[in-house]
Amino acid sequence: MLTKKLRIGIVCPYGWDTPGGVQNHIRDLAEFLIAAGHSVSVLAPAIDESTLPDYVVSAGKPISIPYNGAVARVLFGPIAFSRVKHWISQGGFDLLHLHEPAIPSISLLACWAAEGPMVGTFHAAAKHQKVIYAIGPILEPAIEKLSARIAVSEAARLTLTNHLETDAVVIPNGIYATRYANGTQQEKWSGNTIGFIGRFEEPRKGLQVLIDALPIIARFAPDVKVFVAGPGDPEDVIKEIDPQLRKRFEFLGRISEQDKADFMASVAIYVAPNTGGESFGIILAEALAGGACAVASDIPAFDSLLGGGEYGALFESENSTELAKVIIDLLRDDAKRGQLAQAGKAHAQMFDWEVVAKQIFSIYEMALVGGEGVTLVSDSRTWNRFLNRDEGKR
Amino acid sequence: MKTPLLVILIILIFAWYLSFLATRLDRLHHRVETSWANLDGLLQRRAAIALEIARSDFADPASTLLLTSAAYQAREATVQDRSGAESALSGALALLLIDGQTHASSSERTLLDELSALTAKIRIAISIHTDSVSSTQAVRKRVAIRLFRLAGTAPLPVTYEFETDAL
Repeated sequence: MLTKKLRIGIVCPYGWDTPGGVQNHIRDLAEFLIAAGHSVSVLAPAIDESTLPDYVVSAGKPISIPYNGAVARVLFGPIAFSRVKHWISQGGFDLLHLHEPAIPSISLLACWAAEGPMVGTFHAAAKHQKVIYAIGPILEPAIEKLSARIAVSEAARLTLTNHLETDAVVIPNGIYATRYANGTQQEKWSGNTIGFIGRFEEPRKGLQVLIDALPIIARFAPDVKVFVAGPGDPEDVIKEIDPQLRKRFEFLGRISEQDKADFMASVAIYVAPNTGGESFGIILAEALAGGACAVASDIPAFDSLLGGGEYGALFESENSTELAKVIIDLLRDDAKRGQLAQAGKAHAQMFDWEVVAKQIFSIYEMALVGGEGVTLVSDSRTWNRFLNRDEGKR
Repeated sequence: MKTPLLVILIILIFAWYLSFLATRLDRLHHRVETSWANLDGLLQRRAAIALEIARSDFADPASTLLLTSAAYQAREATVQDRSGAESALSGALALLLIDGQTHASSSERTLLDELSALTAKIRIAISIHTDSVSSTQAVRKRVAIRLFRLAGTAPLPVTYEFETDAL
């Protein structure tokens, strides 16, 4: 652990007030670092500046652009660039931690503008590999400035090694495992129940796969119920469900952290049927920490998170028949369910912030060797250096 | 009559590109220096811990001899001998650690824990260092950089042998 108190600047590429895994990760990391006595400033795009916590600095309103198969709320442009530069020059940081610096965002801008100890965390596993080949040469000069790189999963690391020809240290995303460890079992969510948490309107979250599996599950477990939590408007989704099965679905809307813990402790099975675009699976890790028996699609991120089936059951992604089979087997076998849940809970301790933050700290320490603080790249310096070199030759 | 202007413009753009490459390379060299300094520091600490373990009651006389000589060699090795010396120290420590799991008192336990924490850090430091070296090597292969001798007199960074085999 570091004994010296640091000034750390963290850049969040996505809109602070839109829900998302990267934002949550940065919020938790920043709060953890602050609690450890460091001074932290987070630069992030934000829609409503009045609701920001005091450690967040707004870089302006995010814009929505399609990127990597999803809509990303990011920010760039000349005004944003000058704000980024201002933030760096005023911050007097010992170290910058840039998240997702390989997408067009303020993280990339900060990577261009700054010089000194910088750590980059790569969250996403790129889907369109050809695009990465095309943009690789543009990104290279920026990415190579990072003193150390972190990938949140083996999948994210592979994207880096294959396409940007650079290696990274794998450090998983953090969760507050203890917050989820002590949920109380709630009567209303117990029994033959299936839980799902996420932005269910997005197709890649895979709620449809679960809906398609339900007719088969209902035949074997007539009293099965599905609880769906997460932000979104359920109307459109409900319309698509077979009228006979509608009663089995209950939409809870957004739930609090405490409810989430109770939810995970209560449901018989937690399902993560995501069809892709996931690089770590934070909610799945929280489900494990909460002691739920997890069933997940076999996309690379989930496969590695569940240790190939050791800490939760896997099914072939987008195959609702297999999902139904796996769920029915588990609903019938209480012992197997208990055993998976227990193994998963023990495994989830690996992702606790206490463990993860220590690993991130040690990367910080390594980046800080020879650290003279973060400064702006000054263009004049480039020319001076070049001229001096000429003089040296003469 | 636009031709002279165009030529000047092209020369300016080219000069800017060269200076851009030179800055990039300079930064990469700096990164290699930093990552090596970090790795070097950690390796020195490892040698110090190895000496401490060698002096503790935990090590038998033969192990003490082996560890002490390996640790001293790692500390005093020249650039050429460094790789071999670090490999030897890794080997000596590995031999001792196999026994360490079973018989060790509490004070020696903390030494061994410290060593394993340090080993984990060294692994990360090695991956960071090899990464910075390989990106520097890749950039230095560029035609423009070799042609205009943008690397100046800086030596081409290399990775050491011991970095490839895990500790």
